[in-house]
Amino acid sequence: MVQLRFLLLVFCFSISLQTAAQTARQTGLRENTPAVFALTNGKLVIEPGNTIVGGTIVVRDGIIEAAGRDVTIPPDAYQVDITGRIVYPGFIDLMTHYGMPCPDKDDHHYWNPQVRSHYSSAEHFRPEREEAAALRSMGFVVAQVFQAHGIFRGKGSIVALGEGDAARQLIRPDISHQISFRPSDDLGSSYPSSAMGSVALMRQTLLDAAWYIDAHEHYRKNRGIPRPETSKALNSIAMARKQNLPFVFDVENEHWFLKASEIANSFSLNAVVLGSGHEYRRLDAIVHTRLPVILPLNFPDPPSVMSPEQEMDVSLGDLRHWYLAPANPSKLSEANIQTAYTSYGSGQRFLSNLQTAVERGLDKNVALASLTTIPAKLAGIDHLYGTLETGKSASFIISGADLFNEPTAIEAVWVDGIQYRVREVREKVQGAWRLASAGLLEGATITIEGDDNRLRGSIRHDDNATRLTWLRFDNERLTFGFPGDSLGLEGICNMSATVRHNKMLGIGTTGNTGTFSWMASRDEGTENANNDRKKSSREILDLPVRHPGMAYGIPGKPVQPGHVVIRNATIWTQGPGGIMNNADLLVSAGKIVSVGHQLEVPRGTKEVDAVGRHVTPGLIDPHLHTSIAGGVNEFSDAITSETRIKDVIDADNVWIYRLLAGGITSATLYHGSANPIGGQNAVVKMRWGQLPADMLIEDAAPGLKLALGENVKRLSSRYPNTRQGTEQLIRDALKAAVEYRLAWQRWEDNQHGLPPRRDLQLEAIAGVIEGHRKAHVHAYRQDEMLMMMRLAEEFGFTVGSFEHTLEGYKIADELKEHGAAAVVWSDWSSFKVEAYDGILYNARLLNEVGVLTALHSDNTQLSTRMNWEAAKTVMTGVPESDAMNLITLHPAKIMGIDHRVGSLEPGKDADFVIWNGHPLSSFSIPDQTWLDGRKYFDREADKLLREEVNSERAMIINAIIRKTHQSTVNKK
Amino acid sequence: MNPLIDYRFKKSLFIMILPVAVLTKTTISTAQIPAPPQQHAVAITGGTINTITQGVIEEGTVVFEDGLITAVGHGVDIPPGATVIDAAGKYIYPGFIHGHSTIGLTEIVRIAESTDLRETGNINPNIRAHVAFHPASEHLPVAAVHGVTTVVPTPRGSLISGITSAMVTDGWTWEEMTLREDLGMVIEWPSMGDADQYRKELRALHEAFDKVRRYEQARSAKTPFHHPFDSRWEAMIPVIRGDMPVFIRVNNIRQIQAAMAWATSEQLRTVLVGNRDLHLAADQLAEKNIQVMLTGVIGGPARQWEGYSQGYTTPAVLHNAGVTFCIAGDAGAASAYRIHHHAASAVAFGLPEEEALKAITINAAKILGIDDITGSIEPGKYANLMITGGNPLELMIRKEQVFIRGRQIDRQDKHKRLFEQYMEKHRQKQTAK
Repeated sequence: MVQLRFLLLVFCFSISLQTAAQTARQTGLRENTPAVFALTNGKLVIEPGNTIVGGTIVVRDGIIEAAGRDVTIPPDAYQVDITGRIVYPGFIDLMTHYGMPCPDKDDHHYWNPQVRSHYSSAEHFRPEREEAAALRSMGFVVAQVFQAHGIFRGKGSIVALGEGDAARQLIRPDISHQISFRPSDDLGSSYPSSAMGSVALMRQTLLDAAWYIDAHEHYRKNRGIPRPETSKALNSIAMARKQNLPFVFDVENEHWFLKASEIANSFSLNAVVLGSGHEYRRLDAIVHTRLPVILPLNFPDPPSVMSPEQEMDVSLGDLRHWYLAPANPSKLSEANIQTAYTSYGSGQRFLSNLQTAVERGLDKNVALASLTTIPAKLAGIDHLYGTLETGKSASFIISGADLFNEPTAIEAVWVDGIQYRVREVREKVQGAWRLASAGLLEGATITIEGDDNRLRGSIRHDDNATRLTWLRFDNERLTFGFPGDSLGLEGICNMSATVRHNKMLGIGTTGNTGTFSWMASRDEGTENANNDRKKSSREILDLPVRHPGMAYGIPGKPVQPGHVVIRNATIWTQGPGGIMNNADLLVSAGKIVSVGHQLEVPRGTKEVDAVGRHVTPGLIDPHLHTSIAGGVNEFSDAITSETRIKDVIDADNVWIYRLLAGGITSATLYHGSANPIGGQNAVVKMRWGQLPADMLIEDAAPGLKLALGENVKRLSSRYPNTRQGTEQLIRDALKAAVEYRLAWQRWEDNQHGLPPRRDLQLEAIAGVIEGHRKAHVHAYRQDEMLMMMRLAEEFGFTVGSFEHTLEGYKIADELKEHGAAAVVWSDWSSFKVEAYDGILYNARLLNEVGVLTALHSDNTQLSTRMNWEAAKTVMTGVPESDAMNLITLHPAKIMGIDHRVGSLEPGKDADFVIWNGHPLSSFSIPDQTWLDGRKYFDREADKLLREEVNSERAMIINAIIRKTHQSTVNKK
Repeated sequence: MNPLIDYRFKKSLFIMILPVAVLTKTTISTAQIPAPPQQHAVAITGGTINTITQGVIEEGTVVFEDGLITAVGHGVDIPPGATVIDAAGKYIYPGFIHGHSTIGLTEIVRIAESTDLRETGNINPNIRAHVAFHPASEHLPVAAVHGVTTVVPTPRGSLISGITSAMVTDGWTWEEMTLREDLGMVIEWPSMGDADQYRKELRALHEAFDKVRRYEQARSAKTPFHHPFDSRWEAMIPVIRGDMPVFIRVNNIRQIQAAMAWATSEQLRTVLVGNRDLHLAADQLAEKNIQVMLTGVIGGPARQWEGYSQGYTTPAVLHNAGVTFCIAGDAGAASAYRIHHHAASAVAFGLPEEEALKAITINAAKILGIDDITGSIEPGKYANLMITGGNPLELMIRKEQVFIRGRQIDRQDKHKRLFEQYMEKHRQKQTAK
């Protein structure tokens, strides 16, 4: 009874006492209620791992004066008995949008409105009563606030979650920055429209910020030079870097986490990552970054699997994530990653998700640290918040039970000495009760379950039991009825009682007696049994490790045998050896050692008998758009050479596995063809299961995608709209790149004027002119290809390749003379006007004339059957070995990786395919695909993998159905 | 030298030489010219004949006159005056049938003006594909020279999209090229993504069939009342009478079973057209004797967790379950020529080779209702056949000669023509050096 009064009383006073700023002008009568409290007989969690039972906490003017067991209670303290309550340090949420108004979209100080790094959350912060209450109801007393728009979102501040003036609640203004990889489409900018564009903008902005300081420095020191622009945004970034403020990267998944780390490293940023909940999938790499994580507890709802069709449409990746996500916090903790939890992404489910995380192995002390001491340290407020130590702010949680088991147990939260009531302490009626002084019903038990507004129950007397047919609980009065005859009474029994402090005081009627009175109290034995059942309802599933965490994911890199020999095969070397019958291929440590007959091999060599089968080099597709995250085109601008595909490789694409199943081992991933000058391509190996960075062939020739013809002139709103305009735009960009290099040259010679700014867009183009970056030019018609070659010649470079090259056969001699390669389809034509003259004989004619020619797919599905594409060219008259070159050695040359792959020659990477027949036969498919001397695909292993995938899916789906079924039953 | 001047110079030279070349080189011809009707009997001798229906005949003879096959086998009498083609060491196969294509109805996909596939409105049973079949389409000769002798241009896109006809791939006019008109009615089973939209479209389909029955009953009843002609319902009468099959395009298991159930209750002759998920219904299809036309065997799985070969294995699954099916491949006009690729890819994933051949010859003919006139090498059928140097399912193998209704077709399709034209350019460049 003492407790209840306390909770009500304290809430009522002291609003004016401490929530107004000290400097605020006092009007009317002053209120001078003392603010000294002693909370006694509570269980105090001083800090993680340090709990005091029967402790007292003394609060004076918002500060903890003392906390412990043998605390002397000051005589002026108002004493409140908190027996049965637990006091935790208040939680700190480092990622919120609390109190942040929608920003003025015109208020930007950089050319791109996504860059709002000047934004001061401290200036704009406006406490919001309801938002604060919502955060407090989850135990939070302090939050970091960021506004929610843009890529550079501006500065974050630490605020208290009490009520009152902004000035009073601000703890540390503008102490961090936030960066997101997702542009906001409500800021009125079109650039960037893709993920790779976001990364590019991020890089360029960080470079510009560095230049900004430098430029102003020069301006200050030198007279007579142009005034550099004044930009609050760039200045803000530069200052933050100087002060080493944390940059909080908002990432969508574990791969973006790693990308954030890469960017932070390259610019020496003090980075913190707002995680995604997917960290467990690539934990080793995440650990390696050593970055602190602000972790949302955003566990997904179970996927909908209530029909076979729904089941079919759910991926194994989603099923696994449903089960594994709640274990993410404990995985991070086991890996010793510094982690602070946030309610961001989980909203009001935060505490129940926290409970789930604890059930899934998260240590309660770790959980508490991740909500108190760790965020306090990250926010630089560990001297003020995070523990119940003397001298710190009286910001704590009063809970009726263990918060990590009972998410609804929070009764009140104190913020800076002011108590806010979280919920009314209501009587609980749920549980088992034993009747006493109840006449005929003496010793009966009542069991009540369910939510307050949806109660259900039963009554048992001797060996008879029946359900309660109606049941209400309202304002401490319980009302129910049941058929009395099932318990040996007459007619219907109608009963009610007041429930208070674990006692019932009631009356009842039966069909043949008058009113009788009864009492009841908690029946402890039955209670415990109920709890046990609740705990055991969670199923433990044994899911294997998969990289990626989806169907066909593998536990780790496939084994690389020290030596392996493929015996008795028909080997298409695509090198000087030609096609060798009944030959052997010896591989050591991932490299080809020799190809020959009856090879002598080192002891312990793994033997693979391939009698009757064919072996070819791993197939290479020189033009794909698969496995690119966040958009293939940065279509918002006509020149986007600053974008890099390698920033956005999606290693978790099941097509990588399917490509391996088709014998593809390497490919070029391209920016799309929307822009005359697109992005920088990536050359990858299909290293399924590994990280994006590990898929790259680092020593491949760097490249830049250009595009001509219909696609680039399709947008009427931008230049160009004609092929002529395309030529002019590319020419203009080439000129600009030349000028750019000259400007730097001049600067290095005489340091005169403003220092030039690094321009990532022009640097990529300059690389093309200088010949260390290959131009890969999307083109269909002969006129545009001729134009491009002449333009390149004018600037002194050679076009690396034309891509698609439908009319290549019309200018084969010109291509050869210039030295451009031709990447073509076997037979695509007529899907648009510029494709109308595409012919099957294109590859043949080009190859015959002597143009370096390769086949490409431009289509992930088609890419899985490139051997059949090559077979089509045989029909047009290409010799078989040449046809094989079109999908192996030639693309390798075009991509500048022929020193590594493309033929089976000693010293090259052991990337090869074992076919079940002639590789150009329409009936042949790969039996095995090897990459770096590791077997990445095996038809037999695939069968097992499919069974695994199916049974794993079924196992998780069954668990979901059982769980859903259970909760449906419970609700009834 | 200024590259620009050099470029102009070369170009003008090229323009001057080209007309001379055209006059002097007889190898460069213009567009493919349809062959005249067969005038003399033709006998192909010595080759291995795969009749499809009557087994394989080694060193056999096929004779055809007036466009029809007159004899097949050993020791066949060769009519006097017949042209004899020695096919020793070669193979003879019936021409391929593409049962579900946009060929002849579209030329360049992105150019709407070159496309006649979808009429406005949702109920278009009266639309007949063959009257807009474009005989001059460049895609037809391409299909023909690769052994595709019969195609079925298919309207699509609306709930009831129209009526298909079988066309040969060589000829001067659509009229002459029509092999058999009014084969079947195309229904696009409505998408089930949006429940309300689905209900609405399904009701429209039910109503259409209901109205046809009312129409037919009223028109055929002997009463003093006149019931005027209705082009839509008139076109559907053969369907409700079971004289014309419906080709229902389906895309997933829900659509498949919904279409099967509906067509069964309406007592329609039914062919399901699709690929995805059909393997899941294989046993039911076999039991209900519903035929299947497979589109795009070559393709990726629909779902992330499905095996990489999911689409390729469907033909084998259907075959093992005893479903009558044919393979139509993808519907693209430019890709109609490689229907055999789809059949071959099914072989790579377990379909017996002979079944793959049937799937693009006799089974396609059966499902389309033209097996009395084409689809195999049998006396009485059209001489739609090809001579090859090997297995015609192999992409590497060229079709050496193709006959359509006995006419030996010109091999000068657009691909070949442009190839020869620009080989000539290359030769001239070489000579000029």
